[in-house]
Amino acid sequence: MTALLKVENLVKHFPVRKHIFGRQTAVVHAVDGLNFELRAGETMALVGESGCGKSTVGRLVLRLLDATAGKVWFDGEDLMQLSPERLRARRRELQMIFQDPYSSLNPRMTVEQTLVEPLGLHGLAIGRRRERAAELLELVGLAPQYLQRYPHEFSGGQRQRIGIARALAVEPRLIVCDEAVSALDVSIQAQVVNLLQDLQRRLGLAYVFIAHDLAVVKHIASHVAVMYLGQIVEYADKRSLFAAPRHPYTQALLSAIPIPEPGLRRVRVLLQGDVPNPIEPPSGCRFRTRCPHARDRCAEEVPALRSVEGHSVACHFWETIQAPPSVSSEVAVNERLMRLQAAFHPA
Amino acid sequence: MSALLEVSGLRTSFKLEGGGEFAAVDGISFSVAAGRTLGIVGESGCGKSVTSLSIMGLLPKGQGRISAGSVRFEGQDLATLTADEMRALRGNRMAMIFQEPMTSLNPAFTIGDQLIEGIRCHRDIGPQAARAHAIEMLRRVRIPSPEQRIDEYPHKLSGGMRQRVMIAMALSCEPQLLIADEPTTALDVTIQAQVLDLMRTLREETGAAIVLITHDLGVIAELADDVVVMYSGKIVERAPVEKLFANPQHPYTIGLLGSIPKLHLEQGRLNAIEGQVPTPMTQVPGCRFAPRCPFAVAQCRQDVPPLRDLGDGHEAACWRAPLQTIKEPGA
Repeated sequence: MTALLKVENLVKHFPVRKHIFGRQTAVVHAVDGLNFELRAGETMALVGESGCGKSTVGRLVLRLLDATAGKVWFDGEDLMQLSPERLRARRRELQMIFQDPYSSLNPRMTVEQTLVEPLGLHGLAIGRRRERAAELLELVGLAPQYLQRYPHEFSGGQRQRIGIARALAVEPRLIVCDEAVSALDVSIQAQVVNLLQDLQRRLGLAYVFIAHDLAVVKHIASHVAVMYLGQIVEYADKRSLFAAPRHPYTQALLSAIPIPEPGLRRVRVLLQGDVPNPIEPPSGCRFRTRCPHARDRCAEEVPALRSVEGHSVACHFWETIQAPPSVSSEVAVNERLMRLQAAFHPA
Repeated sequence: MSALLEVSGLRTSFKLEGGGEFAAVDGISFSVAAGRTLGIVGESGCGKSVTSLSIMGLLPKGQGRISAGSVRFEGQDLATLTADEMRALRGNRMAMIFQEPMTSLNPAFTIGDQLIEGIRCHRDIGPQAARAHAIEMLRRVRIPSPEQRIDEYPHKLSGGMRQRVMIAMALSCEPQLLIADEPTTALDVTIQAQVLDLMRTLREETGAAIVLITHDLGVIAELADDVVVMYSGKIVERAPVEKLFANPQHPYTIGLLGSIPKLHLEQGRLNAIEGQVPTPMTQVPGCRFAPRCPFAVAQCRQDVPPLRDLGDGHEAACWRAPLQTIKEPGA
């Protein structure tokens, strides 16, 4: 099966100017040479910390930003080359769900207006738009009587459902979820994660899932790309990445997550310092300034993203780096808790 | 041993726009002994931040007030203190770290100015000695080259660095009690790991008691000795940390633990808790969690369950606790 989305050597540099009319003095290397593929019905997660460029990638994929270089193939067409009219038609198939359910809905529009607007823009569901809006609400688990209400009358979780319904209105094939569940409380986050998975199964959607929470990513993604300072440092299917992380950054990231198991003694890879400035990324491997395994070669030579058995990693020395032991083996399954938690499943 | 901080029957009320009041925190009691860390966990709107503001006497004037109960610090009822006495206490013997390191530092002053101001407010020492102490504090929170950093403005520092400055500021007068309200929530996970590690070390060095307020059960598991779970303004469960995670008794705690995607387990669907937290203004007869609870029975919808001792320092506010033997939910 061919890929629905294929990103090739994607680059985005933002110019830095000292003064608004001044000349360009430097560039921010937000995204530097990205490659990945995504098939229909799959979820590709982009993970990394603040400033790694993951949100910029999401915007480039939808061409909400123009790339400095590279190609974004969607269903065999390079989005970067499309005329404005053609792009507008194609956008129907590409939607986005935003992080903040409080600022991504227009407070002056009712839910119905919010859902009907994209239908009007794309000339869909003519003559039955109200019915379509009601259908959409039901699809995301909200009652159709909410159609005449305004965003302020809803909780954060409900607003996020409305944002999802708006994205689904135009029957997209790909949705970019930019930290779509990060702002929600855990019990509500679980509802929305379940909803996204149900919708994917029913509608065959592909997701680009941008997140910093690796536990959520492990739950929802089929493939994971770990980004650091604008580049992918590791890319693999989910199982392989979480079972045996190869890049020292991924290892540190996984070991840093607090696990809700008191008394669990873990080998923690504690990184020193902060992420360097993307205006002057370090030479060679960009992670070397914080890497506990860095050697001379890392400063001199940029490590290529090398694929071994479908698991890619950009590190000169990954074969010789011992991964910290995975925690899964040490945690006993709590039978009583699992049984009681099962009661929360709606029958 | 007497408790360092003792909160009993605390009720904090806020004014409604149309007149009247509602209780954001409704009759909660807990205590913290010296050297212990109490975790308060709950979701948005459960009242955990209002609890910390009530303890510190930082409720917004004219809007929020403690309408019942008391807060005792070292045996002294804080309600009896004057504003000046309270100010002498705050930042000195009890200190606070806030969530937002971006907004809790003043952008117009160097971090040194802000640290020294706090120190000289509470210690009778000269500017030179205060500066030396500030540098020492920055060194203790592992800020590299503190002699230079002290003269920098907050915007020059990363989020993790600013949170370290906040911690240095809170600890500069060696408080007996530290209240940390979501201290790592705004930080990236590798930076969060650094700050948690730092807090653990400093706790051992200083012996301060900590009230750790967070929504993140992972952070609780890492740092807390005892845990209080709050839901909609009330304490629903209290237990030593191992017991809470191994043998939770309140359905809300059970559901909350089930909602978290696990890094270390294979799972199918997440066990979401259906519905949503009632707003503090909403009247719910009986248990406030009952409308979302799969174990609720008729009694739960009529009578408010008290926090009951289930043995071994484990308490839950649930009519159906201990939830050991239930097979048929909703029976």
